[in-house]
Amino acid sequence: MALSEQTIPQKMVRPSRWRRIWERVSILFVSKTAMIGLVIVLFWVLVAILAPLLTPFSPTEQDYEAQNQGPSAKHFLGTDSLGRDIWSRLIYGARVVLVVLPVSENFWLPGGTALWGVVLGLLVGSTLGLMGGYLGGWVDEVVMRLLDAMMSFPVILLYMIIIAAVGASATNVVLAIAIVGTPGIARLVRSLALDIRTRDYIRAAEIRGENSLYIMFVEILPNARGPIIIDAMLRVGYAIFAMGTLGFLGLGLPPPSPDWGSMVAKGRQFILAGSPWAALWPSVAIASLVVGLNLFADGLREESLRYQ
Amino acid sequence: MFVKDYMTRHPVMIEPKMSIIEVEGIMAETKVRHLPVVGAGKRLVGLITRERMRIPPTELGSLNVWEISRFLSNLTVEDVMIKCKDVITVESNVTLEDAAKIMVENKIGCLPVLEGEVVLGIITEIDMLLQLSTLLGGEATGVRVTVRVPDKIGEFAKVTGAIASQGWGIYASGGVPAPKHPGYWDMVVKVRNVPKGDLVAVLEQIEGQEVIDAREC
Amino acid sequence: MTMKQIQSPVLRVENLAISYETRYGDVEAVRDVSFDIQRATTFGVVGESGCGKSTVAFGIVDFLGSNGKIVGGSIKFQARELVGRTQKELRTLRGDQIAMVYQDPMQALNPSVTIGDQLAEVLTVHRDAPKAEAWQKSIDMLERVYMPDASNVMERYAHQISGGQQQRVVIAMALLNNPALLIMDEPTTALDVTVEAVVLDLIEDLKRDFDTAILYITHNLGVVARVCNYVGVMYAGELVEKGPIEAIFDDPQHPYTQGLMRCVPKLGTTKESSLLYPIRGRVPAPKDRPKGACIFAPRCDYATERCRTEAPLLREIKNGHGARCFYSEQIDPRAWRPPQGLVPELAAVTEEADREPILKIKSLRTYYEQESRSVLSLVGMGEKLYVKAVDGVSIEVPRGKTLGVVGESGCGKSTLAKTIIGLEAPTAGQAEFLGFDITVPVSKRDLALIQELQMVFQNPDSTMNPSYTVGHQIGRPLRRFKTVPSGQVRSEVMRLLNAVRLDGSYYKRLPRQLSGGEKQRVGIARAFASRPDLVLCDEPVSALDVSVQAAVLNLLLEMQQQSGITMLFIAHDLSVVRFFSDYVAVMYLGHIFEAGPAEAIYAPPYHPYTEALLSAVPIPDPKAEQKHIRLEGTVPSALHPPSGCPFHTRCPRRGMLPDGGQICEQEVPPWRHNTEGHRIFCHIPLEDLRQMEPVVTVGQG
Repeated sequence: MALSEQTIPQKMVRPSRWRRIWERVSILFVSKTAMIGLVIVLFWVLVAILAPLLTPFSPTEQDYEAQNQGPSAKHFLGTDSLGRDIWSRLIYGARVVLVVLPVSENFWLPGGTALWGVVLGLLVGSTLGLMGGYLGGWVDEVVMRLLDAMMSFPVILLYMIIIAAVGASATNVVLAIAIVGTPGIARLVRSLALDIRTRDYIRAAEIRGENSLYIMFVEILPNARGPIIIDAMLRVGYAIFAMGTLGFLGLGLPPPSPDWGSMVAKGRQFILAGSPWAALWPSVAIASLVVGLNLFADGLREESLRYQ
Repeated sequence: MFVKDYMTRHPVMIEPKMSIIEVEGIMAETKVRHLPVVGAGKRLVGLITRERMRIPPTELGSLNVWEISRFLSNLTVEDVMIKCKDVITVESNVTLEDAAKIMVENKIGCLPVLEGEVVLGIITEIDMLLQLSTLLGGEATGVRVTVRVPDKIGEFAKVTGAIASQGWGIYASGGVPAPKHPGYWDMVVKVRNVPKGDLVAVLEQIEGQEVIDAREC
Repeated sequence: MTMKQIQSPVLRVENLAISYETRYGDVEAVRDVSFDIQRATTFGVVGESGCGKSTVAFGIVDFLGSNGKIVGGSIKFQARELVGRTQKELRTLRGDQIAMVYQDPMQALNPSVTIGDQLAEVLTVHRDAPKAEAWQKSIDMLERVYMPDASNVMERYAHQISGGQQQRVVIAMALLNNPALLIMDEPTTALDVTVEAVVLDLIEDLKRDFDTAILYITHNLGVVARVCNYVGVMYAGELVEKGPIEAIFDDPQHPYTQGLMRCVPKLGTTKESSLLYPIRGRVPAPKDRPKGACIFAPRCDYATERCRTEAPLLREIKNGHGARCFYSEQIDPRAWRPPQGLVPELAAVTEEADREPILKIKSLRTYYEQESRSVLSLVGMGEKLYVKAVDGVSIEVPRGKTLGVVGESGCGKSTLAKTIIGLEAPTAGQAEFLGFDITVPVSKRDLALIQELQMVFQNPDSTMNPSYTVGHQIGRPLRRFKTVPSGQVRSEVMRLLNAVRLDGSYYKRLPRQLSGGEKQRVGIARAFASRPDLVLCDEPVSALDVSVQAAVLNLLLEMQQQSGITMLFIAHDLSVVRFFSDYVAVMYLGHIFEAGPAEAIYAPPYHPYTEALLSAVPIPDPKAEQKHIRLEGTVPSALHPPSGCPFHTRCPRRGMLPDGGQICEQEVPPWRHNTEGHRIFCHIPLEDLRQMEPVVTVGQG
């Protein structure tokens, strides 16, 4: 199929860095879905960052006189069975998930467990996927079988096994999320690599005698980043959901850490007794964050497809 | 010379539900006077001709001006067409002469050419006239000679033999019984690239035959 | 006086205008197009990509998609107006009277239904014909389209027959209902040249028998000259010239048509008469097409002020021949001289004897192992099957010259290129480049060797990495091979950009901001960056428009002359190769059939396959006389190549040998050596081959 000489007129020069960033960001504003999602996610991130400013209570402060209360002027979302303010527990709980990763007593990293877990999964998964997709042959067979093995475990079961084996701490949760996420990411990257490696610019690189590592990470990976980023965002959502489940099952972060899942677990008993608040609000929080991330990812995917 | 070689393939065709006004427009634009009416799969359901489009005044007599135009605008092809069972058609391997005979006997101007029920094309008087002209070499210049020969075997061969012996070629020819001269046939022969005088001189030498017309055209 | 002149046209298009809705507003794709098509006439619409020719066709059959709409003009099919009708009305109006054939036959064929069922369905559905009758009629129609073994083909599925046969089935399907109008959108573009020739013969045949009006859309002027009676030339959405075929080729009236004629590769007998003159500038994007001016003015050598302020109408210049130009009568294309700098100056051909060949290949074989499905092979005892892609090729390329390798699909030319460059490992044979052995894959080659052997690719869209700028990608080989010190990389990239006629602003651009021709130029700059001694060009221009093609070919020629680089040019188009190569090799099924200096290949003596190829190429000159040699059958499979001479199953000249050419089946042919390095791989003795007449006799050139 013949291509024509239609091109953008000469006067367009590569725009400045800020302009480029703005152009990328403005895609978000075109998609309503993405915007709604972004608003929800940003809400939680901001709330988590500014947590100390947003509540007079500490998440662990117990008040035996105010147990299981509904929303009131003082406790804006109510209290749980030990009299702790639910709102405070929610926003501090968001911190660990989204904003801060406590690696050890004195050392923490910005980003939160969900994010770090997905990032780690991305690193490992992309590498495996690139190797399998580009190198092919027996490397691909080995990688695929490894992934098959990992994927054959039901996700929650895998989480449970890992946490049960190594204990429940923030870093271990990160590890678990990474392990669980790796096969999916690897498969995605592998199929992208399989497609991209047929392109002529990869041939051109091979003809230059570039080695495989260069080709995989410099030539192939940047062209796969679109779908990978969108997938990663979805995975953050899955991770949060998984953490909620783990917490519910008692495998979350140890008490008194304000883990949303365990909040639901503990609050469960009081639903029928007339105080659903302790279980309700954390559930709403989990749902909203996951939905927000999904909307954001969907919106981006729609826009990037349309843009093409 | 079969109908299939001279008919118009892919004729302009119309559907039964079309309005007469639209058909008028088509006829005016294409200058076609005969339109086959077809249904699904190009099956013939009827025929519309210029004559059929003339509504006899008696039908309109009782209507006033507004009613006339409404009447006309509501008329569809179906109301006016010759129905399929009344349309005379031919198959594509029929000879031109047979088709001409049918047209004359039935006093019609066109014959839809069918294969089974499907319309393949249409052959009209104009096509016939065109072929008549071609038959006698109408579109080429040359010498056209009419020779009256007795109605006997071998007479025409004498004409062609005489022409061939001179090394000339016959471009077109045709023959009919001589009008008003029973026992004789009029043969028309067209020869090209030969002076009229030479041709006539050669033909006049044939015994028993008469050159009754020779012209350059 | 003929019937045609009195009849009304099957299709009458008047002042047609079509627009597409986009995010940025309405974009005009087609503007003011008018033409008529009579019965038994083929009207060709020719133009480059983006000119709107396919859009016109889609407008007629209402395939414009949800965002396309007809915004003006009328389309009358059999005197019935199509514009403004509802879908339902259109369906009844068109019914089975308009048929369309696409470039890709698989768009019309259902892969899960047998050919016979699909053909018969056309009749059973539209005509309510009984199955047996429909089946028989389908077989008849297949035979009509010269399908060998028609009743057998009826039982097969679409993927089991070749591309040329698929296209024949599609044409058969289209004709089963005897449509009044047949629209063909580049039906032979995807086919090999010899197959295309047969399909084109078929189309002409059918027009005669069925009296169908044909709208033929193509970008190939040679095809137009072969099948069309009338031609409309489109540019940027407008019809700029229209007329009978001889008039258009003999005496083009519009500067764009004249420019096109000059940049189409011809099979001229001398290198000078094959020179290509590109049209300067580029096609304007739909939103840059002014309404009040001549759209071709920015690229026209004759444009005046009037052309920029007033839009010319399509007016009749001579009988039936019209052009959209104010100055048609005053412009004489024969007086045109190329403006300064448009074409490179060709250096005189100096005969330097004893040029040591830079690339020497001897009996090279590249076989791919075929995965055998038999149970025996599981156990390791099965017979190994090989696809013999390259099967005993020997060539030598002298330094500084260009070798063109020509062949149809499946001949092995791409595999040959990949083997030379090291992406495939050869199975046997020797290959030497600059005295070094290159039978090893690229990963095992020395870096110094790698940088001397580079490649230009076919598809401009995939030749560049979309994530990096042009400057970065041209710079990469410079950095890797340390061609220049790292401080000078940027200026060297600039120099290369200028050498490929792109200005410095391209340094920062991303590939998606470039057009097809520009991307190819960047690909060329990248290949030449490391200053290689040999550049392999794998069909570098076959995906480009004709006028862009001319510019890129000239560029390659210029760069070769300036730097003395040797080139191996792979193509399937004999006319393109003629322009470009000093030496030519013709390949078929992994073998070289004929090799030698370019002039020797295009004149007798020919190998029978070369003769067939040359007689199949559509020539953009309706007056040229071309022999009509067609090959029967299809290319044999490379898994089981025929014994002896691989061409014996199809050779039209087998009869020249005693016994009808028995020897061709039994023995491998010898090399016949003609003068000056010209050799032919054939059993027919050289004296007999020399008796052949030339395939093409062009008029006054």
